[in-house]
Amino acid sequence: MNRQTIMVDRDLLAEPRRRAAELRADFTRRGILVLNILSSPGAGKTTLLQAIARHWQGRRRMAVLVGDIATDRDARRLAPFIPAVQLTTGGACHLELPLVERGLAQLGDLDLEFLFIENVGNLVCPASHDLGEHLRVLVLSTTEGDDKPAKYPKAFRTSHLLVINKTDLLPYVPFSLESALADARSIQPQLPAFAVSAESGAGITDWCAELESRRNELLANGDVFSPRR
Amino acid sequence: MHERSLLESLLRQVEEIRQAHAGGVVEEIRMEVGPLAGVEPLLMQSAFAEAVAYGRLADATLVIDEVPLTAVCPACGVVEVMPVRIACPGCGETQLALCGGDELRLRSVTIRGTRVQEQPA
Repeated sequence: MNRQTIMVDRDLLAEPRRRAAELRADFTRRGILVLNILSSPGAGKTTLLQAIARHWQGRRRMAVLVGDIATDRDARRLAPFIPAVQLTTGGACHLELPLVERGLAQLGDLDLEFLFIENVGNLVCPASHDLGEHLRVLVLSTTEGDDKPAKYPKAFRTSHLLVINKTDLLPYVPFSLESALADARSIQPQLPAFAVSAESGAGITDWCAELESRRNELLANGDVFSPRR
Repeated sequence: MHERSLLESLLRQVEEIRQAHAGGVVEEIRMEVGPLAGVEPLLMQSAFAEAVAYGRLADATLVIDEVPLTAVCPACGVVEVMPVRIACPGCGETQLALCGGDELRLRSVTIRGTRVQEQPA
């Protein structure tokens, strides 16, 4: 019986990367800045999106695809303010491209400036999936502890922007903004960070200004935000 | 992690290769996994064993070679780095461009009983 070893050398991640890049190019053509929001469960991703919607008061056209393992609670929280589609993963711990594509189809042909993809609360698996976003945003909340960056290095290394949320609770929790930032920047030295309280609205003006300036950058220069490895 | 969805893509490609080589029995599948691929080899092995248990690949072995994480340091060139705090082991520089170690590659498939001898281009 003959036997042969066939050398192939194919990157199994190449195909999803290519599809994500195509989706991103399409968003860029349409002038939509797409942000993939990562955090632990309960860090305040949905509350942050509500705060952004409240700040813009309809002046910016935004929509949300919101991932959850079960329930459409987050979409129902957001729907009164902005178009929101729930992506229920049925147990999966992160979003993948086909779910995002299905959500986009449900959202329909909206004329948008910003699309937020709220990932499943999890700092591990979402870091390994390019969803066609321009920017990956990591939301870290003060109640989680300031030691998270070193424990979840891939999420912090592959993110473009860091939001530290729940700063209104700083007096009550053992969280040092300085140590959290130092920890995050030991993984990614130039990571821009924004301290906010989505609940009280503190810092939201600066954060929204950053989003607007990033979109202007996209409109002026095309997609300049390459995915981080 | 996402071992299962990656496994689907792996098995689909292995089956394509098997058919392109006139059938036969797959004996060994060899992969390379970098530390930043987001794949734990042990979990990949158990997901593989589960997926192939009763099928055509039941007797196939999955070999996973772990490759190092490498980066380009402006001062020292290509260096091997540790996955957590990526810094040059020579000079401590942290502004490095990763150049290898986040890949998940299918390297080779060994097939017994194939009638086709030539290697693909």
